[in-house]
Amino acid sequence: MNDTKVAEIKNLVKSYGAKDFQTTVLKGIDMCIYKDDFIAVMGPSGSGKTTLLNILSTIDKPTRGMVMLDGKDVSQISNKELAKLRKDKIGFIFQDYNLLDTMTLQDNIALPLALDGVPSKQILERIKNLAAVFDLSEQLRKYPYQLSGGQKQRGAVCRALITNPEIIFADEPTGALDSKAGKDLLHCLRRVNDSGQATILMVTHDPLCASYAKDVYLLSDGAMRCRISRGNDRKEFYNKIIDLQASIGGDFL
Amino acid sequence: MRILQLAFLNFRNSFKSYLSLVISLSFTILILYNFQNTIYSDAFAVLGQHNKEYINMLIQVVTIVLLCFMFFFIWYATNVFLTRRKREIGIYIFMGMTNQKIAMLYMIEISFVGITALVVGIGFGALFAGLFQMILGAVSETAIDVKFEIFPKAVAFTAVAFLILYLIFACKGYWNIVHSSVLGMISAARQNEYVHIKNSILLLKALVGIVLTTVGYYLANKGGRYKVMENLLLAVVLVIAGVYLLFGGLIPLIFQMLLRNKTFLYRGQRCLWMNQTIFRMRKNYRTYAMVCIMGICSTTALATGFAMKERYYNMIVFDNKYTFQLLTNQPNLEERAAELIQKETDIVCQTSLPVLSPDASHLVVSYTDIIRVTNESGVLFPLTEPLENETYYLSYQVLMSFILSKEVQTVTIGNDTFFQAGIVREPCLGYMQREMGCFYVVSDSTYSRMKEYSTMLYIHNYKIADNAAFERARTAVDVLISNTDENFTARVAVDPFDNGLEWIKVLHALCIFMFLVFIVAGGCIMFMKLYNDSFEERERYLVLKKLGFSTQTLTKSIAHELISAYVLPFVVMAVSTYFSVHALGMVMYAELLSVYIVSILAVMIVFALCCIFSVSVYRRNVGLR
Repeated sequence: MNDTKVAEIKNLVKSYGAKDFQTTVLKGIDMCIYKDDFIAVMGPSGSGKTTLLNILSTIDKPTRGMVMLDGKDVSQISNKELAKLRKDKIGFIFQDYNLLDTMTLQDNIALPLALDGVPSKQILERIKNLAAVFDLSEQLRKYPYQLSGGQKQRGAVCRALITNPEIIFADEPTGALDSKAGKDLLHCLRRVNDSGQATILMVTHDPLCASYAKDVYLLSDGAMRCRISRGNDRKEFYNKIIDLQASIGGDFL
Repeated sequence: MRILQLAFLNFRNSFKSYLSLVISLSFTILILYNFQNTIYSDAFAVLGQHNKEYINMLIQVVTIVLLCFMFFFIWYATNVFLTRRKREIGIYIFMGMTNQKIAMLYMIEISFVGITALVVGIGFGALFAGLFQMILGAVSETAIDVKFEIFPKAVAFTAVAFLILYLIFACKGYWNIVHSSVLGMISAARQNEYVHIKNSILLLKALVGIVLTTVGYYLANKGGRYKVMENLLLAVVLVIAGVYLLFGGLIPLIFQMLLRNKTFLYRGQRCLWMNQTIFRMRKNYRTYAMVCIMGICSTTALATGFAMKERYYNMIVFDNKYTFQLLTNQPNLEERAAELIQKETDIVCQTSLPVLSPDASHLVVSYTDIIRVTNESGVLFPLTEPLENETYYLSYQVLMSFILSKEVQTVTIGNDTFFQAGIVREPCLGYMQREMGCFYVVSDSTYSRMKEYSTMLYIHNYKIADNAAFERARTAVDVLISNTDENFTARVAVDPFDNGLEWIKVLHALCIFMFLVFIVAGGCIMFMKLYNDSFEERERYLVLKKLGFSTQTLTKSIAHELISAYVLPFVVMAVSTYFSVHALGMVMYAELLSVYIVSILAVMIVFALCCIFSVSVYRRNVGLR
């Protein structure tokens, strides 16, 4: 394990609603993410997975507690700096891909770098390499509507990786894919993680999806219940996750 | 719930989304009503019956143009609206409503919109009728009699014209919904599939577009002796069709080619806004073309207005060059007439020259004499002495002419035949020059030769100092009028208070109004389109924000995209207007380059304001504020 801390949260609390009708979604979470981690956060519906991801990815703000990203406390920095942090240090993978349907896959992948003023030659080179890794070289000129779900999601992963982010946040990345496309995507994610190209934090309700991660955290009722690590055998890890899920109960969606 | 109640409920609840349609329709109604009101009011009666008739005729012509404009405007506005509403009302399909019932619901809803727009339009029209006439009077520099009156005939005409046009498009919407598929209806407002059109099709469209516009420009500026009017009308049709094809073919083709050049594309926000622009182009090219054509109409109207005003003053100056002019066979009348006039008022300019009458229909002036007379009266004669076999025709200022031949004509004067080497429109001999239209300038030697077989006549010209003494001076001069063979003396008197040309100034004001109507409508259409688009873009910008792109970056991209939406029609319009104003200059015998530049600048300012406003609203609608 690499000892470089990428993100750290301490005593994270998130509440919604007015003063007298507050609902606390996250109740004091502590977590540390190191470089080259591949973490899956699982939990039943309403456990606070997406809220945790939104706060970690700086889209939402915590009510209390500290969230450190790239050595900075995100609750203390300006919106402008937050946007820069998101652009430079974070990659996003969404359940519904969120590719822009106005442009080709190649332009979608290139967009973050183009907007950042990176020379076009360098952009094209990086797209070429990533497309080869994710088996998308033939699809680059197509528009999103011409691609399958799996291709779109792999394209979204390429877009997330193209800026060489410190960490990638994935929200149910296989949620909209069939099992074959889902597996292909997870293999790809594992491959980039193993090769040291990405630190990944993924939120999922799917045990099979989670079994591709190195560590699985189980979130329930706004608190982190336990953490299990993979070891060498993914199938065994999968079974462990299923057992854990059964012991916690709840609606895992 | 009955369908009428449901329609009313929908109308009330979605009034905000109806608002842009109501405002735009009310605007067209307001304009139409005000023009109609002006016809029925006696505002221009002070200018005399002759002018009033001319002005009414002009307003009738403007009304026809406005009705055409209203037709296209309602077509456009209801179309945009139908697409937006289709998806919402399409949901009723799942409640078991038939297409017919949904179409009926749409018809009733849109009738509420039409009636609201009509009431608001005529209401505000009546309120602003006085103001409208005052502005018309102020722009035309005419003292008109403004009264606040509502004319039922004007109201009836406006209401009937609007309702007929509106009904046509309401029925079209009805038919459209009845024949829509369920899927088509619920996905109407969300068509996110950009169909990459084949380059060959775009190229074909682009080529046809270029050919049509070029032929249109050529025909408009061809001139000639015959069929000038037909050519101009054909040019209008060709340019309109050509502009549509340019926006449907050439511009997407250029953009698609640029999109392929990644070295060019991957620079800053280009990747985002150019992709957005080409994505929207397929749906928006008709709008761009329409705005462009409205821009051409508005700049041409403005140029016509400016040219008319200039021409009005030129014609007044031309006719009033001299107050009295005598044509006589008496060589010694100049001083006698001057004495008679001077008893009443001073003379500020007095000139005299001999002319030859070689036949019954031509009068010949020598080059030296015309140069002397023009120098004395402060006019610059523009041409050098003609050759032996050449002559210059002393013409006059015309409002417009559709005979634009540049062929060198020959003219037979007395026993000689000349090449007409030039036409002079400067006021050398004032009103007489225009009224008689038979003066020719020849070289001094030719003049001497023609003297031998021609009758010698004299023209004496006087410009009085005090216009108030005009009537008295005329009575004094009239004693000289004689029509005998030995003593032939004719007199021309130009009343300085004559307002026979006042209608041209009103035409100028009407042109300015037409400019405003077209440019405001063009700006509104573009704004409405971008406003609607912004709602569709909301999700996309939400994603971009999530991805970490700063508000500043996205705002820049929006600004680029919207600027291109305004610049594209502006550029095509600027080029087309150059030719249309040039054609106008030809029929008006005027150099209108400065007028062209001013017109273009005026449109540029309006577009720039609309663009700034659009960017601001767009930003808010996509959630960047």
